[in-house]
Amino acid sequence: MSRISATDRLRRVLAVVPWIVAQPDGAPIDEVCARFGVSREALLADLETVFMVGLYPYTPDALIDVTIEDDRVWIRLADYFARPLRLSHGEALALVATGKGLSDAPGADPDGPLARGLAKVARTSGVDPDSAVDVDLGEAAPTLLESLQRAVADRSSVDLDYYSFGRDEVTQRRVDPWRVYAMQGHWYLDGFCHLSGEERVFRVDRIREATITDVHFDPPDDLADVGGPVFRPRPDDPRVVLELAPSARWVVEQYPIEASTDVDGGWLRVTLVVASSGWLERLLLRLGPDARVLDAPDGLETAAVAAAQRVLGRYK
Amino acid sequence: MDKLERLMNLTAAMLETVRPLSADELRERVPGYPDDKASFRRAFERDKEDLRELGIPISLAPVEGTDPPIEGYLIRKEEYYLDDPGLETDELAALNLAQSAVQLEGVEGIDAIAKLGGVVGPGLDPEATGLASLRADPALVPLFGAVLERRTVRFAYRAREGAEERTVDPYRLDYQGGHWYLSGHDRGRDGERHFRLDRVVGEVTAGPPGGFDRPATEVPGVPRAGWQLGAGEPVVARLLVDADQARWAAQHLGADAVAERRADGSVEFDVVVTNWPAFRSFVLSFLEHAELLAPDDMRAELVSWLQALAGERAPR
Repeated sequence: MSRISATDRLRRVLAVVPWIVAQPDGAPIDEVCARFGVSREALLADLETVFMVGLYPYTPDALIDVTIEDDRVWIRLADYFARPLRLSHGEALALVATGKGLSDAPGADPDGPLARGLAKVARTSGVDPDSAVDVDLGEAAPTLLESLQRAVADRSSVDLDYYSFGRDEVTQRRVDPWRVYAMQGHWYLDGFCHLSGEERVFRVDRIREATITDVHFDPPDDLADVGGPVFRPRPDDPRVVLELAPSARWVVEQYPIEASTDVDGGWLRVTLVVASSGWLERLLLRLGPDARVLDAPDGLETAAVAAAQRVLGRYK
Repeated sequence: MDKLERLMNLTAAMLETVRPLSADELRERVPGYPDDKASFRRAFERDKEDLRELGIPISLAPVEGTDPPIEGYLIRKEEYYLDDPGLETDELAALNLAQSAVQLEGVEGIDAIAKLGGVVGPGLDPEATGLASLRADPALVPLFGAVLERRTVRFAYRAREGAEERTVDPYRLDYQGGHWYLSGHDRGRDGERHFRLDRVVGEVTAGPPGGFDRPATEVPGVPRAGWQLGAGEPVVARLLVDADQARWAAQHLGADAVAERRADGSVEFDVVVTNWPAFRSFVLSFLEHAELLAPDDMRAELVSWLQALAGERAPR
């Protein structure tokens, strides 16, 4: 007996029954199991129940007829369950949003099966996909994204010209590309960096050039935490303590905050991990009078002053 | 008796009736309910709840010929059945693949696939699995439903301090830069506005369907750039970016924004700005590798912003 709830079984049955009804030559049981991700045992238990279902007064002609023969199943006299339940708003959104994300991704075929399927689903759920929902996974040059994806598939190392935002410098490095993915509005490349000798995450929009080499690599067996946090603070990373004006609360939405307390005037005192000195400089330049530095790592106490002076140098 | 069997018989009874059936009539027609009146009522209420949770639309209507009127129950066929989108196998397979590649956090796309005929083709492609994951704010699915059914919505929207009640005719949803945005007509402010879904506080209240007419022309989505999100007069700013950062800048500003390429590889961009603080943040993210050339008043404001930070002058 399956241990899932009656409502979960009902959800499945209301999708499985219409599909079986629509197969005039019967449905191979193995195919039903594969299509709907259900074990044979659970499917047979469901079908046994369906056999008991019907309309008042439950005379034989008013009951659903289930026939199992030669590993195929037929369902008859189930007109009222011959069509599936309409999509919920969440289900329609999941289809349209994820489909839009891929069909608009760089390099996608605008007339391919995904775009066609999406248009059909959208029509029946009353959405005009172009006017109601749009999904932009992130900016990336199509040719670059494609060659990175090819390198991942072929397990070919790549030579990158990479602009390191935090350190504010362009570096050349060889990378074994493990995976390419989009998260929070950006495309990322994850892989082993030969320059640093460890796993690194690269923003695809900061790769100036990628050359596929004919060197091949073996990816690690375990790539479990796909799309994990891009910035993983370590215990010994430096911390900064800031006080933020009410209008600077977006910082809390955007960066992981380790501690926060309310202070006078609606200001907020927060502790943040310093990803790099360039990161802190940019943050303080953006915040201007909306931030006060209470405690900063050695050498970074005057990060904002030094950075402001350097930028001002351009305006003299 | 099997609860699945009772739920299916109840669904069939409400689907196959031409008039609303009272609770007592349903008790007679659906086997498996307790005899005791209070226990029956509790079980019946729970069953209705379960069915509604699956998205089964149970309507209430007065039973004819009863005085005082008794409320009866029925499922309207046109509200229950999915309109068959007529997907070809390759289209269904492409939608399958999209579901495995792009996850909408917390929304089960696989249930939608089951209703459309189940998993076909390669199903989960390990190369594509986890290609992207989209956040799903609690307001997302309710607002999507409101866009589809043209329901005016009310919600609390986080403001600089506290939250403001907004009443909006919702037109479209966009996923941009890692955030969901709603675009629509703000009734209180009588104008088109964009809202970030992660700033919607608490529940979204939706009015009746067909509560407004969509504009005749296509609704533009949320602007890609934060500096075009403001309501200010559009101003064209001229920005010079150094050679090393120019490609990255071009990706963000778009190729159309390129005004002049200098011999040293640096690039001048013309950028339409309606939100000056957002654009100032973007300019400062280049540190000393970019210079705002025009207009003069923006340039002067930027300089005094930096001077205040550099300690060259008291803050404004």
